[in-house]
Amino acid sequence: MTAAQFPCFHCGAEIPAGALVEERADDATLSFCCHGCHGAYLVINGAGLADFYRRREWRESGLSPQAFQGKYQESYLARFVYQAGAASAIDIIIDGIRCASCVWLNEKIIGRIAGVQEVRVNYATGRARVLFDGSRTSPAQIFSRIDELGYLPRPYTRNAAKEVALNEHKDLLFRFGTAAFLSMQLMAYAFALYAGYFLGIDEQMKNYLQLFSWLVTTPVVFYCGWPFLRGAWRGIVNGSPNMELLIATGALSSYGYSVYATFAGEEVYFETAAMIVTLILIGRLLENAAKRRASSGIERLMELCSGEAQRFKGDELEPVDPSLLRPGDLILVSPGERFPVDGTIAEEATDVDESAATGEPLPLYKQAGDQVIAGSCNLTGAVRVRCDREVEESFIARVARLVEQAQSRRAPIQRLADRISGYFVPAVLTLAVATFCWHYSVGGEFGPSLMTALAVVVIACPCALGLATPTAILAGTGAAASAGVIFKGGDILERLSRVTVAVFDKTGTLTCGTPMLVDVQPAQGLSRGEVLALAAAVERGSLHPIAKAVREYAEANGIAYPVGEELVSLAGGGVTGRVAGEAVAVGSICFLKRTGASGVPERVESPEGGIVVGVARRGRYCGALVLKDRIREDAPGLVSYFKRGGIGTLLFSGDRQECTEKAALAAGIDKAWGELSPAEKAAKIERLREEGGTVLMVGDGINDAPALSAADVGCAVAGGTDIAMETSDLVLAKPDLERLAEAHRMARRTMAVVRQNLAWAFLYNVVGVPLAMTGRLTPVYAAAAMALSSICVVGNSLKLMRTRNG
Amino acid sequence: MASSLIALMGLSLFLGCACWLVFLWAVRRGEFHDMERPKHRMLDEDEREKRRK
Repeated sequence: MTAAQFPCFHCGAEIPAGALVEERADDATLSFCCHGCHGAYLVINGAGLADFYRRREWRESGLSPQAFQGKYQESYLARFVYQAGAASAIDIIIDGIRCASCVWLNEKIIGRIAGVQEVRVNYATGRARVLFDGSRTSPAQIFSRIDELGYLPRPYTRNAAKEVALNEHKDLLFRFGTAAFLSMQLMAYAFALYAGYFLGIDEQMKNYLQLFSWLVTTPVVFYCGWPFLRGAWRGIVNGSPNMELLIATGALSSYGYSVYATFAGEEVYFETAAMIVTLILIGRLLENAAKRRASSGIERLMELCSGEAQRFKGDELEPVDPSLLRPGDLILVSPGERFPVDGTIAEEATDVDESAATGEPLPLYKQAGDQVIAGSCNLTGAVRVRCDREVEESFIARVARLVEQAQSRRAPIQRLADRISGYFVPAVLTLAVATFCWHYSVGGEFGPSLMTALAVVVIACPCALGLATPTAILAGTGAAASAGVIFKGGDILERLSRVTVAVFDKTGTLTCGTPMLVDVQPAQGLSRGEVLALAAAVERGSLHPIAKAVREYAEANGIAYPVGEELVSLAGGGVTGRVAGEAVAVGSICFLKRTGASGVPERVESPEGGIVVGVARRGRYCGALVLKDRIREDAPGLVSYFKRGGIGTLLFSGDRQECTEKAALAAGIDKAWGELSPAEKAAKIERLREEGGTVLMVGDGINDAPALSAADVGCAVAGGTDIAMETSDLVLAKPDLERLAEAHRMARRTMAVVRQNLAWAFLYNVVGVPLAMTGRLTPVYAAAAMALSSICVVGNSLKLMRTRNG
Repeated sequence: MASSLIALMGLSLFLGCACWLVFLWAVRRGEFHDMERPKHRMLDEDEREKRRK
């Protein structure tokens, strides 16, 4: 597709041959018919008014979807089409995706359009990727079809996605805030009305209270509950009844009856209508937060490649956005910075920390000709790097795509209470209708028959059923949080209690992730303290993990060390400097030999196979330090806890197979796989899930992010990378693996309480509904009984707060 | 009695609306823009502290 096929982006006129002017924007190449139009675009864009072009072509959300029917312009949408193999592809943000059934409906309907080859909708981000045959269908047809379903499609750009998510969040907050404040007012009137019913109330006062109740309930039902009413209508029109239909039925029936009762002098139930809407809005708000969290993991990943890159323009350096880097560009990366793209070192040498990306615990020495990975950290020297790939094709972006794919495959689980409610509500409505018909047919009057039917609805109100799971989950997650385990959602507790396989990452999760000093071997006539003080003085201020380990050990053991001067870091070798006027060198044995130090032994024994760092002063060997990445002390305990519970244990690592097996043996893990890429880790997790396992993945690095997303429960350890924390479901607030065992115990206890609550709510309905059907319970007594059952459920859940260590 | 009760109801409605308007103002100002990261901030190692080490 050549740019000249499009009309001018600014004025819409055809572009004559040879007059094409192009401008590269964030997501597409824009075509202009002349420099005048191009200049106008630059002025408008420069003034921050780029929205003008979108408004010209696009309706804003909030207008009725039909208002712009047929306004999808091929010329505009064609800019967002790209090639994916033999097919054309377009990414679309679908505004209005609320649940798994929305995802299902969109995939089904779009998939039926002739020429569409594949559709995948990501629930977490509302983003759809459509592969289609450009000769048989067009983007405008796809957009129109989505529009007909009642959703709002927009071409995907990073900004559009953010804007949609933010608008949705704001809208929900407005509606929820309004509903909450008005419901609070309403509850005061409801209390007065209930008290008046039992103790007597002046008729005029009752009328006032009912009118006030009506006044505050109306906006709650018709403004705050509008999304449900609209969704219910959509369900009726599309012939697919949904949860929103149930919500709308419940809210409108109690509202409608209460309006009638206000004028008929009966009891009103406005608070039922308002609370249904308010409580469901809370649920929506929490769900929305979970969706935003899922997509923020990807954002965090991409942030690693954001910031500014220093690109060479001749001999000058210019700061540029990493997205503008192209293969072949030469950039400068200073110590402490992350590499923005995958590349090859062109000049100089440095140590690179790839632990977050590959799981390699020790820094790697990289010199001219060696490859570097985007997202890894440059430790010691400024290097010139030749870019090999663009940001979109670099390691970090590939990992981000894997995370997104894993998330799009994981539909939200349908909770037990939801499944029960699905059958429960229609059953109750049927019973209520049957009750009314029966009482009316045996000679009852219309009013009392209706009241009896309403009592059935009120007593069966699934409040206890609805509260059974959330209250227990809330108490469980609260208790877990005080124990230092942060669950990011209620359903995670449920999944964690059913885990059958626990998979661990090695570096940083099962091991400490950084080398630790395990042994000091001083030369003849020197003490351990002296050798350590020399090394720590020279390693002062270095970013290198070995330097950090030496300093930490010295500080922990109370060894005072002087300040080193004239420090020079030599990548891949060590450090030289002066301590109290004497030349000191610290580094590998080869490095010490290169500096010409005498008395350096051929080999230094390191019983545990660690790294050996030699120390020399005034050209004489003084001793060696042995460092090693150690298994966490609490790892074997956690592994044996899982084994006792019949849960399988596996170890995945990007590190060498031999090292991985050693670590597995030390921790007591059944099976180990080494040398795995991030994609392979995620694929293995997928396979375990396909075999019927419920998988827990514990990890801490960028390379674990796809696996954490793919697992049923992803667990990150604090102190790991931000990305791991963003893409996981639960976080251990301190790097203490014992807490995971505590979290698992808490999850099991919580699920036991949920089952008790559900059983209680069910039992209460089994007793209450027949009583109401026979007319032995008036709606007010039914409401009191309903409140009592809710209190029992809440009390049972609060047990969890008390039995934290039980 | 009735008139004082109505006055009180009006007052509570007025106060409620005032709180509601403050909430709307806060939403518009972006106070609830990111409700996730602040609570995880305690888990992040302070960058400046890291450099000081």
